[in-house]
Amino acid sequence: MTNIALVLSILLGTASLAMGYGQAGATAYPRWFLLLAAVWIFMHFRKWYWFSSIALLLTVIAAAYGVWREFLTVWMVLGAVGGLLAWDLSDFARRLSYAAPMDDTQTMERQHLTRVGIVAALGGGLAMLSLYVRINRLPFEVAVGLLLLAVLGLTRLVIGLKKY
Amino acid sequence: MSRPLLLSLLTYGLLLAGIITVHGEFIALALPLVTYLLIGYLQAPGEVKIEATRHLSAERSSPDSDVDVTVTVTNHGLRLEEILLNDIVPTGLTVRSGSSRHLLTLASGGTCTFAYTVSGPRGAYNFKGIDVQVNDHLGVSSTQVQTEAHGHLFIFPPVTRVRNVAIRPRRTRVYAGMIPARAGGTGTEFFGVREYQTGDPPHSINWRASSRYSDTLFANEYQQERVADVGIVLDGRLRTNEFSRGHSLFEYAVQAAASIADALLNQGNRVGLLLYASYLGWTLPGYGKIQRERILHALANAKTGDSHVFSDLEHLPTRLFPPESQIIFISPLTDDDMKPLVQLRAQGYDVLVVSPNPVKFELSYLSSSNAEVQLAGRVIQMERSLLLQKLQRANIHVLDWDVKEPFDQLVKRMLGRSPVILRAIGR
Repeated sequence: MTNIALVLSILLGTASLAMGYGQAGATAYPRWFLLLAAVWIFMHFRKWYWFSSIALLLTVIAAAYGVWREFLTVWMVLGAVGGLLAWDLSDFARRLSYAAPMDDTQTMERQHLTRVGIVAALGGGLAMLSLYVRINRLPFEVAVGLLLLAVLGLTRLVIGLKKY
Repeated sequence: MSRPLLLSLLTYGLLLAGIITVHGEFIALALPLVTYLLIGYLQAPGEVKIEATRHLSAERSSPDSDVDVTVTVTNHGLRLEEILLNDIVPTGLTVRSGSSRHLLTLASGGTCTFAYTVSGPRGAYNFKGIDVQVNDHLGVSSTQVQTEAHGHLFIFPPVTRVRNVAIRPRRTRVYAGMIPARAGGTGTEFFGVREYQTGDPPHSINWRASSRYSDTLFANEYQQERVADVGIVLDGRLRTNEFSRGHSLFEYAVQAAASIADALLNQGNRVGLLLYASYLGWTLPGYGKIQRERILHALANAKTGDSHVFSDLEHLPTRLFPPESQIIFISPLTDDDMKPLVQLRAQGYDVLVVSPNPVKFELSYLSSSNAEVQLAGRVIQMERSLLLQKLQRANIHVLDWDVKEPFDQLVKRMLGRSPVILRAIGR
């Protein structure tokens, strides 16, 4: 079940990017996205799970590049969401590989797919919403709050990097 | 790189790109990642309150026998969405069936029980605890704890039943046993003739001797049988036990020690064990079943080792053994072992050497078609025979054991005492 969802997510991510790039006339790139999808699937079935992090990085960078080149943002967001889903499912498959044959992994798989689906839908939905909702004036208090949130997040990131 | 760190870096990278290029779409691109991270952190597992208990189907076992390990884990905290339990199996044991690792969801107050079967070679194994890894359902945050669930498994060496080990130390203890005490009294073996005394049973009168004297009766005296002090010295030196290609005679030596200790304790003797390896492992002498357990525990833990101090037998602590007692030395033997053994004999100890034959053992796995190997084997065997002859000349009883032969058969042939009825008719 997880493997099917993973393959579909990889295809969703890479096909969206390919579509976005292709529609914008950058016809040299789609084949590379298809190659990335093929390699990602191959690596997953060889149980080289470390590759999914690299693939997520490549997917997000490709989506960001597309945004910068002003390709259709919907495809780029879908590409990033697909990459995120596939990355999550790849790690979940790694964790499932530790389970014993008698463990109830089917229920866990079902629950995880439901939850991660909701998270992806929520994230994707918010991203889409942000594309259409424009806030022309931001109150000062909200701006300060967002700034503080950003500082807090950055601090946590630095602490995380130090630990690493 | 950890998962949340990667996501954070990507998120901040996109936000930074959005701010620098004044492009809101970058921030839109970051939103799925932020959502994923936030939900992951919101679902982070709280304090993990796990308790585990372990039950072993047997705490004493024999090599390669199956032992069932049952582990029960109870969650006293909040519901754990994804918990990976990894029972740490001691090194040396093999999981034969079932699994020591499980992935599951554990409700608050919930209990999970899993079982698996292990087996392994001789040794003492300590189960310490269970590695518990708790993840949120997205795997963003993770907590690792170790829960204690102790258990001890002793895999004892196989004990071959040996009926009689005939030894004759100079000194015995006061209690009745089966070792000839070199003193007249009640017993089964004829010891001598003395003048009849009041209270002697009439059937002890030696009529043939009495007929030679007109006014004196003579009575037969029998050899007293008592228990003795026996010290078993197990040679665990690496250089005498380990051979090429990882072959070792030590397991055979341990089996011999276990069988001899068992037989001597069954006869009522007081037995102690000294492991002479990289250290001295001394099991104080004692009697009976408890002492048998102590010795088997010591043998389960016995390992070969190398040390400069104990590389030869010069530092064998003879004061541990009572004077003139029986010492049973179990070793494949090397040339330089002769002098210390002869010194032991000179000090009054009765020494019995049980020597697993290293030459035959090595030849058994070397190529039999190689003429040079066979020739070398013959030469070394001759040297060994010479060493054993020298020891026998020093009045040390030597059992040269080809390990292909079962140990009980060797003991029966070399040390067995014939039954009383056969001894009575001189066989």
